Amino acid sequence: MRHNDKVNNFAVGLDVGTSRICLAQRVGEEYQYEAQLNAFVTIPYSKMTENVLAKEKVPHTVNGQEIVVHGNESDRFADLLNVETRRTMDKGVLNPAEPDSLGMLRKIVESLLDPVKERQKLCFTVPAAPLGAEENLTYHEATVRQIFNDMGYDVKSINEGLAVVYSELESSNYTGIGISCGGGLCNVCVSYLSVPVLSFSIPKAGDYIDSSAATITGERANRVRIAKEDSFHFNGFFAEKLQQVLGVYYDEMIQSLVQGMKQAFANARNLPRSNRPLPIVLSGGTAMPEGFRDRFQKMLTEAELPFTPSEIRIAADPLHTSAKGALIAALADA
Amino acid sequence: MPLIPRKFIERKARQIIDPVERLRYLQRRAGVPQDRLQPAVSWRQRRLPVLSVALLLVSLLTPGFRASHAKPAFLLGSIARVSAAGTDLVPDVWLVDKTGDLEIYSNGLRIDDRYTAPNERRSFYPVYQSGAGPDIDVDHPEWRSEPAGIVYHTTESDQARFTAEENARLKRIGKAVIGVVQQNHSYHFLIDRFGEVFRIVPESDVANHAGYSIWSDKSALFVNLNSSFLGIAFETQTQRGDVPSANPAQVHAARILTEMLRNKYRIPQSNCVTHAQVSVNPDNMRVGYHTDWAGNFPFLEIGLNDNYTAPPPSIYAFGFEYDAVFVHATGVRLWQGLALAQDQMQTQAAARGLSVSQYRAILQKKYKEILAALKAAEAANDNES
Repeated sequence: MRHNDKVNNFAVGLDVGTSRICLAQRVGEEYQYEAQLNAFVTIPYSKMTENVLAKEKVPHTVNGQEIVVHGNESDRFADLLNVETRRTMDKGVLNPAEPDSLGMLRKIVESLLDPVKERQKLCFTVPAAPLGAEENLTYHEATVRQIFNDMGYDVKSINEGLAVVYSELESSNYTGIGISCGGGLCNVCVSYLSVPVLSFSIPKAGDYIDSSAATITGERANRVRIAKEDSFHFNGFFAEKLQQVLGVYYDEMIQSLVQGMKQAFANARNLPRSNRPLPIVLSGGTAMPEGFRDRFQKMLTEAELPFTPSEIRIAADPLHTSAKGALIAALADA
Repeated sequence: MPLIPRKFIERKARQIIDPVERLRYLQRRAGVPQDRLQPAVSWRQRRLPVLSVALLLVSLLTPGFRASHAKPAFLLGSIARVSAAGTDLVPDVWLVDKTGDLEIYSNGLRIDDRYTAPNERRSFYPVYQSGAGPDIDVDHPEWRSEPAGIVYHTTESDQARFTAEENARLKRIGKAVIGVVQQNHSYHFLIDRFGEVFRIVPESDVANHAGYSIWSDKSALFVNLNSSFLGIAFETQTQRGDVPSANPAQVHAARILTEMLRNKYRIPQSNCVTHAQVSVNPDNMRVGYHTDWAGNFPFLEIGLNDNYTAPPPSIYAFGFEYDAVFVHATGVRLWQGLALAQDQMQTQAAARGLSVSQYRAILQKKYKEILAALKAAEAANDNES
């Protein structure tokens, strides 16, 4: 789906995640999504390879003696070549260790979006600062914003956790806690009547689980991720070492998230006074394994946070939640 | 919002079926909620909203003052970027007692008010959109009135040896330094050689501490920080290399003073910086006109992140350059920030398809426009007064 092929689109939402970039649009009353892996892989140049890629319509760029395959196909090529994919982002922001991060991010974005001639509203997600740190996210946000500006869009940004709230908590008048468990970060936002009153991120998420498990098992992180997405679930008995290890690191990640919430709530003084229980919505690819919600609820109960959740649920469409929230923000601003 | 009951807003919102329309309605109506977690307010505190309204009315009638036409702070656009709000942890510090000229705080801080010299009141000061680069809207800044950060200085005054035998001389020099900074309204606070904290200019007033200066946080870009940042000076001289410029008593005092100020004004760590990091010279468009605390400010000991590694916005937002003198005066930690800022500018230039020199010229022009606007506003205020 290329958005210009669709009619009547005056706003788009984009979840710019460490692992995937997801585009959301509303066509009539329907929400439609398209995602690309936010990754790339380089292969040696040959005319024949280039021809094959062109014939197969695999998104790629020729860069001197290399061919760069980016987006969804990078996973398959990395697996074929037994190498790790390269990432344009790390822990929610542009990857400082990747010299081609900006150029490749632009390419991946361009494979989802066309430039526009008339100003069209675009809202993209940005992470919150890590808990306890005052990390400068300005550079990341300004650089990504520039990519969209250059394509002709009227650009806004939205905190990723707030995007979850806008996507899922309409029924509570956008009051509650949105949590996005992605590749690089877990983003948390407490919203009160659509106003974000507290937000932060935890730098342990899907990538942390993959790389930690890869170290233990000797697998490549990329393969661990694929195995995790294919078959991991909680509350089961695993004969396989990889599944056991994944369970251990998943628990550690959830524990960090819960303790982070506890710390943030204990120190925040600008939270609205309300006796009303708050709903919690979990989203993102890392929250998808079966049993994740129950494990999170158990640890949250044990941590004795200063509020009672009215409900804890997984988002209706966890992979697209943040993109949809960004789209709703864009539409509200259009 | 404060005049409309929350329950009414919620009920009305529920009647709106379309999620986008409902969000629009709430964003229009839902500001900072009335029922926040706050201690009971005293009568003095209750007067603040009334005073704020009065101050706003006076400001609106003042030539040169322009209320921001931007959306209120609670709307999405501006609020989405204050994402770390509430997570930059500051210990709770409160005023325990005030007797005569001495304030005592719960973290052990004692502030001596004997030499306080009021200066011009801080009224509204402009801030610009962070990260906007050449697209900064010079004519429509946001207006704020609370201190947004802290700049650390050194007095560069005479230094006696720090020994018991030199006690009388140490005290004599200290007294003289207080006299000078008091006369010039140089800083808000002075920490003497013994770690004693003196309030020189009240926080409600402007101190002449930062001159031409630039800093930025996640959402706001500050130009000329006298109005927007508080100044704390250490009675010391800048030392080169790893020799500490402050003694342990001064470091301890700076730590508890910083805690109190951050707690009182909700100042983020990233806005606690040294004079060398923010100082600029518009005549030659170079950074580091002042080089106090250019290399060895004890950020960590004072309970802050090492802000030396933060890229100076003077370079990436306004195209300032640095020279060998500044690099010589700084330490390795600040070089990282300089290099990062340079990288950012190069990346931004490339993203716009411009050479670095072309992009720098655009940024410098923008800075000069802002400076001209600030000077015009200042002149208008002077005429008015």
